[in-house]
Order: sequence, then C-alpha cells, then structure tokens
Amino acid sequence: MNAGEPERLHPTVMAMIVTRDFQDGFAVNLGVGLPLECANAMPAGREILLHSELGLLGFGPVISDHTKADPYVTMVGNLPVEALPGMVFLSHDESFAMIRGKHLDVCVLGGLQVDVEGNLANTQFEGKPAGNLGGAPDLAYGAKRTVVMMHHTTHDGTPKVVTRCTLPLTAPRCVSRLVTDVGVFDIAGGRIVLREFAPGWDPERIQRITAAPLEIAADLHEVTLIETALM
Amino acid sequence: MSGPPSIPSRRGRSHRLINKVVATFDEAVADMQDGATIHFGGFASPFNTPSYLVAAVARRGVTGLTAISTSMGRGVKHRDSQSPWLPPELRPLDFFDVALMAELGQLKKGITTFAVGARHDLIYPFEERLTEGSVEVEVLGQGSLAERIRCARAGIAAFYTPVGPGTDVANGKEVRDFDGVPHVLETALHADFALIRAWKADRYGNLIFRGPRSFNETMAGAARITIAEVDEVVPLGDLKPEQIHTAGIYVQRVVVRPSAPVTSWEVPQ
Repeated sequence: MNAGEPERLHPTVMAMIVTRDFQDGFAVNLGVGLPLECANAMPAGREILLHSELGLLGFGPVISDHTKADPYVTMVGNLPVEALPGMVFLSHDESFAMIRGKHLDVCVLGGLQVDVEGNLANTQFEGKPAGNLGGAPDLAYGAKRTVVMMHHTTHDGTPKVVTRCTLPLTAPRCVSRLVTDVGVFDIAGGRIVLREFAPGWDPERIQRITAAPLEIAADLHEVTLIETALM
Repeated sequence: MSGPPSIPSRRGRSHRLINKVVATFDEAVADMQDGATIHFGGFASPFNTPSYLVAAVARRGVTGLTAISTSMGRGVKHRDSQSPWLPPELRPLDFFDVALMAELGQLKKGITTFAVGARHDLIYPFEERLTEGSVEVEVLGQGSLAERIRCARAGIAAFYTPVGPGTDVANGKEVRDFDGVPHVLETALHADFALIRAWKADRYGNLIFRGPRSFNETMAGAARITIAEVDEVVPLGDLKPEQIHTAGIYVQRVVVRPSAPVTSWEVPQ
C-alpha cells in the first residue's frame, strides 16, 4: 500500500462482495488464503453447499470456539467447521470427480497474478524451489465460474493484475470475476472491465496500480453489497 | 489381541480364519525395504494422518523412499502450527507426518501437490532438502494425483484429464483433444505400501472413516500392501454392510493406535 492512497477494502468486505452473488443451491469451493473468509460471510437465509477438497460437501461457518468444534470435521486450512444437516463426507478421488465433472457452480481462489486472458497464477512464489498446486488446477477448470479474490498489488506494491502472467500458470483462461481490495472486475474476451471501485478510489487511481489496460463498465459504480449477476 | 483360532476344515486340514490385525506398528512395516514407494494418507491434520505408521517408518530407518502425499508436511519442528484453533495444551503431540522422513533423510523423491511452505518465511523440512538438492519432486494438481492413485487401485493404466494442458504439468506428456478440449495423459500411481488412517476396522480389514475420507479412502488398495491405522478394532459383524466405506479386500494389515498418546516417534510401538 502506498502512502496517501485511499483505504483498501478489508478482507471481510471483499468476502461479502464475493458471496453476495451466490444463489440458493449453489455448490461453492473456497480456496486457501483470502477465500476462506467467505465461509463466514455467506448471504443470510440462502442454502449454499460449501465444498472442500478433502471430501466435505455442505458444511457451515468456521467455528472459533474450540469447545464446540469436532476436530474430525475440518475444511482445507485445517479449520473446524460447523456440521450442517445434509452434509456429506467423500474420498479425495470422489471429491475431485465432483470438481472435474463440473458439478460445482463457483470456486473462489486466491491469486498471485491474473491477466487479461483470465489466466491464473497462484501456485509458485518467486524464490521457492517448487510450487504448491493443491486443488486449484482442477477447481479452475471444473467450476462453472472461477472467482479470484486477492490483494490488487503485492506487499511491495507490484501489480498482480497484468497483461500476461509471468509466474507459472495454475490454469489457463479460467477467471471470469476478480474481486480485489480496490474493486470488482469482469474478465472476458481478452479484456478486463472495471465494474465497481472501493470507496475513495477512481478508475485512474486503480489503473495506476494495474499492469494491464482496464476498460470501464458503462454502469461503473462504487462497490455494493447488493447482488449482481455473476458472469 | 490374540488371533482367531485354527479350526479343522471338513477335509481334515486345519485352516486359519482371516485376521489382518497385527500387534504392533513396527511389525506392520517390518518388511518395508530401502527404495520403497509409499502412499501417505491423510490431509495435513493430526486427526486424519497415520502418525504412528509414519513414526514406524522413521524407526525402521529405510532410505531412498519415494513418498506420495498431498502435502510434504511440516515436521516435528513446525508441529505447533497445526490445529492453530486449538489451545496449545490441547494440540495432539502424537502427530507425525511425511516431513519426518525428510527430516531424517529417508526420502529420494516426493510426488505431491504442496511441496513447500505457503509463505516465504515458512520453510519445512522437504523444502530444505529440495534447496540442498538431495531430493527430487514432482508437483501436480490434487485431482490428477487423486485419480492417478484411484486408477492404481482400480486397475486402470492411464487416463486423459482436461486439467493440466496449457500449464507446466503437461510438459513432456501426451496431449490429445476430445470434443475440441485438450486433455493430458496421466498414468496410474502404484506404490509398495499405502499407509492410511481410519476410525474402526474388523478383522477382515473392512474400514469406516470419521470425517472427510480424503486420501485415506483413495489410497486403500492402491499399493501392494495397504496398512490401516485405526482407533478401534471391533468384532466381525459390528460394522454393517451399509456402513463400510472400504472393503477389507483392499487392506492387508490393521494396527490399533495406543489408547494414550505417545509423543516421541522413537518409542517402539
């Protein structure tokens, strides 16, 4: 974050923006890192089936009081979650058959780089001798929509939204919606369209910390928690 | 537990009833040799990792191992970073993962989806070995890893998956289009041993699991010898056909976890 720039969105708010568009009956997978915030930011009153790679479908929020947690019922990140009626346990191969077979509506993944083609790199930090692919390649391919939730720049201010990913790709052409701490973007047809901006931000400021040309949506507006159509 | 009795058959030869329960973890891995390929079950939690089998492999001291595991683990040094939601005094100390093999220099190669710590400042034993150049690694996505293991169990030699083309994972592999979508050919991943964690077993080796079944169910039967570490062995018939997750035919050995935690991997079990 640069001195003098407007405040960025808190991860809880980013999560509420991601989840506002989830519909009743959606099956949703949350990746490790920032996306896990979504588990506790589900829109009230909607029945959404959360999926976790290790073989869990239909769980509830993360439990913070360990005396109420069942240590055997954890999602990725080894966090205990609420057991909801209708929850199902699976094996790993079945869990990924579900993903690859396109039975999930949305996956929310973290990102290191996203580019104009919707390519996603989120598995290898520079300077590490190998990567961490996890379930991301299958999720990015298999989910009907891939939403990336990430900070707009790295800790040292380097843009993460770029014209072409330079880090190893997790999956090609998969990202359709991008929620960062400065705005909401749709990605399609080789274009990144800014739809919503964080309070205090404007298209020029956002473009300045973005290493790809941004197009501006006709109905550009400040971020809202009112649902929109997920691409 | 003593084995079931020998009974005379109708032809007069005595025969033994099926009993896959072995008395100790050390006995369960006594025939593991240097250079073995091993499936390590679980998913990075003390509650689904076959910790006592991992400790037995450490005591056995075999080297040159190829470890197949969704994560290369954190190791004893970083054990406290597991289950951070539990107060420190409640975190299980009888937790050993595949990183113990890396710490002890027993590994030749890892086949995995999480090779390193997820942050710059998190450096686990396997990453140290990678940096010093003493181990090899193959990193692939979790769905392909799971399906390669499932295929080993199911007798399928290879499969085409749409996940991988356009990324480094597809390098050097056959890519073929189906309905206009590129698929990469992935091969079955067999092992000598599969070490898995389950909840209850009977003497046939039938298993039920507690919580998400993760790689524990997937790896059962994907090796020449599958060993299940369980909380409890129950009399045959107590596990109902409707309940059983893994048929005993996939399981060669069953060992029961100690009732009180043993916090050092060096203590014979």
